[in-house]
Amino acid sequence: MTVLLETRDVSKAYGVFRALDKVSMAVHEDEFVSVVGPNGAGKTTLVNLLTGLLPPTEGEVLFMGHNIAGVGPVALADRGLARAFQLIQIFPKMTVAETIAAAVISRQKKRWRMFTRLSADAEIKARVGEVAEIFGLSRRLETAAAALSQGEKKLLDVASAFALDPQVILLDEPTSGVSTADKHTIMQTLIAAAKRTGVKGIVLVEHDMDLVAAYSHRIIALSEGQVLADLPPDKFFADPKLIETVIGKRRGH
Amino acid sequence: MWALANIVAGGVFHAAVLFLVAAGLQLVFGVQKIVNLACGSFYALGAYFGITFITYAHQLGVSDWLILPGLIISGVLLGFIGPPIERMLRAVYGRDESFQLLLTFALVLMFQDVFKFVWGANPRSLNSAYLIYGTITAGDFSIPVYNLLVIAAAIAVAAGFGAFLQRTNYGRILRATAENRVMAEALGVDVRRVYAVVFTLGAVLGTTAGALVVPTAAASLDMAIEFVVEAFAVVVIGGLGSMRGALAGALIVGLIRALSIVYFPEFEVLAIYVIVIAVLIFRPVGLFGRAVA
Amino acid sequence: MRPHLAAVAVVCGAVALALLPQVVPPYYVGLMIPFYGYAIALLGFNLLFGYTGLLSFGHAMFLGIGAYGAAVMSSVFGVTSFELVLVVVMLAAALIALPIGLLCVRYVGIFFGMLTLAFGMLFHSFLFKFYYVTGGDSGMRVARMNILGLPFNSYNKIEFLAGPFYYYCLALLLIAGFVMWRLVHSPFGLHLKAVRDNARKAEYLGVHVRRFRLAAFVISAAFGAAGGAILGFRVGLADPELVYWTQSGQLVFMAVLGGFTNFFGPIIGALSYILLQDQLQSLTEYWRFVLGAVLALIVIGLPEGLSGLVVDLRRRLAERAA
Repeated sequence: MTVLLETRDVSKAYGVFRALDKVSMAVHEDEFVSVVGPNGAGKTTLVNLLTGLLPPTEGEVLFMGHNIAGVGPVALADRGLARAFQLIQIFPKMTVAETIAAAVISRQKKRWRMFTRLSADAEIKARVGEVAEIFGLSRRLETAAAALSQGEKKLLDVASAFALDPQVILLDEPTSGVSTADKHTIMQTLIAAAKRTGVKGIVLVEHDMDLVAAYSHRIIALSEGQVLADLPPDKFFADPKLIETVIGKRRGH
Repeated sequence: MWALANIVAGGVFHAAVLFLVAAGLQLVFGVQKIVNLACGSFYALGAYFGITFITYAHQLGVSDWLILPGLIISGVLLGFIGPPIERMLRAVYGRDESFQLLLTFALVLMFQDVFKFVWGANPRSLNSAYLIYGTITAGDFSIPVYNLLVIAAAIAVAAGFGAFLQRTNYGRILRATAENRVMAEALGVDVRRVYAVVFTLGAVLGTTAGALVVPTAAASLDMAIEFVVEAFAVVVIGGLGSMRGALAGALIVGLIRALSIVYFPEFEVLAIYVIVIAVLIFRPVGLFGRAVA
Repeated sequence: MRPHLAAVAVVCGAVALALLPQVVPPYYVGLMIPFYGYAIALLGFNLLFGYTGLLSFGHAMFLGIGAYGAAVMSSVFGVTSFELVLVVVMLAAALIALPIGLLCVRYVGIFFGMLTLAFGMLFHSFLFKFYYVTGGDSGMRVARMNILGLPFNSYNKIEFLAGPFYYYCLALLLIAGFVMWRLVHSPFGLHLKAVRDNARKAEYLGVHVRRFRLAAFVISAAFGAAGGAILGFRVGLADPELVYWTQSGQLVFMAVLGGFTNFFGPIIGALSYILLQDQLQSLTEYWRFVLGAVLALIVIGLPEGLSGLVVDLRRRLAERAA
C-alpha cells in the first residue's frame, strides 16, 4: 500500500525537553489512523510536525514522498494536506458559503482572479453546494459563521478543510466540546465526507476511545514523546496495560 | 571637543524629556495595550500650562528660584485630565486596536483647538528666568544648571519607576495586569482602577515633561503633532512596553537629533525615521521589547 | 448589499451627482472636486482597511505621490494629458508601495500602523529635503492640463472645475467604483476578507496571507495616487501638508465616519466629512474640536458609521413591513 504521510525517526526537542523521541509512523492509502495518548504525550507536537508547521530536530517528515519540514500551511494545502483544529476557527463576518468558497478557490487555483464575479462562477458554486450538502449545512449557506451553533461551527470548520480536496486530512479532536450524542454523527459525517471527496487518508487525534475503537484501522499510542503501540483496534484493546497507560484507568463495562 | 560636549549635553537634555513621555507611553501600552496618539497633546498641554502657571506665579511675586518645582507642580496638577479621558477610552477597551488609535486621534484633534482657544495660535514662551539657576562652564562647554536638574529628575524618575515596578506590591500588581489581565482580575485585582491609575500616571509624565521643557523651547500648536512622531520613534526603538526601552530609545533619539542638527542638518529628521524603519525591519520588538502577539 | 439594490443606489447617486451643478450654487460644486479625489483614494484605502483588516496611518503619502507626480509631470515635463498623469502616478505609487508594503505587511495592528506612519513621515521629510525640486514648504505647482485631449480653453479655471472637470471626475469615480466593486466581489476579494477575519485559518485554507496583504496595499496605493492627482490638479498645487500624518488620520476619519464595513461607506464618509468640515468652518474657528468630538462619538457609539446607520434603518423598516 502506498504511504501517504510518514515520519521517520522524528524527534522534536525544546532545549533539553524532548517532546517527541524517535517517532516513526505512517499513514497508508485508505487508512484511518488514530493518535491517542495522555495529555503532554506529544500528540499536538506530532500533528504540528505532520502538517509542516514545525521542523523536526531530527528525522524526516514526508508527505507523498517529499520532505515537508517547515513548508507552511498554504503550500501544504496546495499539495493536498489539510488540517482541522481542535479549537473552532471561523471567519466571523463571512457566511458558510463564503467560508467553504475560500477553500474551493484555493483548490481550483482561482486566487488571483480579480475581475470575475464570485457569484457568477458556477464551478465554485457547485462545489460549495456539494461540500455543504455532505456536511448537512445546505440550509445554512447564507448564514454568517458567527451565528451558527457550536456543532455547526465545528462542521463548518471541518467542511472547509475537506473543501480543499486533500489527499490526507488531519483532524485534531474534532468532537471535543460536542455532546456524546452528536459525536458519532460527526464521525460518520466525516467518514462519509472522506469517501465522497476522495480523501485517501485520515489522521485523527482523539481522547474518546469509543470513537477511536469504532472507526480506526490503526491506533498509534504516544506516551511521553515515544510510540507506545501501533496496532489495529482489536489488538490494541486486548492489552489492558496499554489502555491504562493511554487513558489512565481501565475501560469499565 | 567642547562643541561636541555641548551637543551631547543638549541631546541628553532632550533625551531626558523624551524619556519622561516615553515612560508614560510604555506604561500605558504595557498595562492597557493602548497606543496613545494624544501623548503629544499631553506634552503640549503641559508646556502651555507650565508657561501660564509660572507667569502667574511670577506676577504674584513668587521667587524665580522656584521655577523648577513650579513647573513640576504644574505638570502634576494637570494629571486630573487623566481619569476623565481614561473613562472615555473605556468605551473601546474590548474592541479592535484601530478603534483605540482612532479615539486617541480624536483627542488630538480636540486638543488642538483647546490650545488655540485658551492660548491662541501664536507660540508662547517663558523668559529666561530659568537661568537663575546659573550655568556651569568649562572652557567652551556650558550647560545651564536647569538642564542638569531636569536630567537628574529624569534619572530619578527612571530609578524610582524601576524600583516601584520591581519592588513594591502595587508595582507587582501593575506588572501582573500587564502580563495577563484576565488572570489578574481572577486574582482579585481591580483592573478598572489599575487602568485609571496607569493612564493618569502616563498623562502626568507627559504633561510634566512638557512643562519642564518650556524654559528652553516655545509652546506651539505644532508641538503636539510633531512630538508624536518622535515619541513613537523612542518607543519603537526601545521596544514597546519596556521601561529600559524607553530609556535606551530616548537616549538614542535625543543624541541622534542633537548630533545630526549640527553635523548632518539635511538628514536630521530623516535619520530618526530611517532608524525606526530599520529597527522595525531587523528587530521589530525593539531593543528591549517583548514580542507582542 | 444585494447587487440590484446596490445598482439602484449607484444609479440614483450618479444621477444626483450629475444634476448637482445645475441645482446647487457654484460654491458647493467647487467643494465636490476634492470629494471625488478623496472618494477615489478612500475606495482604495478601504480595500486595505475594511476588506483586508490593515489600518494604515501613512496613506496620505500616496495622495502626495499623486499630487507631486502631477506637479512634476505638468510643470517640469510639460505633460498636458491628465490621463497620462493618472496612469503614471498610479504606476509610480504601485512601484513605491511594493518595497514599502513588503516590509509593512509582515506586521499587523499597531505595528503596521506605526510603520506606515513612519514611512509617511519619511516621505514628508523627503519633500522638504529636496526642496529645490519640490518647493519645500511652498509646494509645487500643478499646471492646468487637458482632459480627454481637450484643453477647454474657453473656460477659465473656475468654470472648468465646475463644468467639464466636474463631470470628468464623476466619471472617474464611477470607473474607480466599478473596478473596486469587481475586485471586492471576486475570488481575490474573498481571500482578502478571509485574511481580515482570521489570517491563521485562512492560511490553512490555502490563502496566501502575506502576498494578498501586499496586493491590497499596492492597489490601495494606486487608488490613492489617482485621488491625489485630482486634489493637486484642483488646487493647482502639490502641498507637503497633504502628506503629514494627521492627513492620514483624516483619511481614516472619513472611512470610519462613512462606515468601513460597507462598500459605499468611504464614499459617504468623504462626502459627509467635506460638507461637515465646510459647514463647521463657517460656523466656528474651532471646527477641529467639533470634528474630533464627532469622531469620538462615532468610534464609541456608531462604529459602523453612517452607512451602518442606513443599513440598520433599512433592516428595521423591513422588519416593520414584514
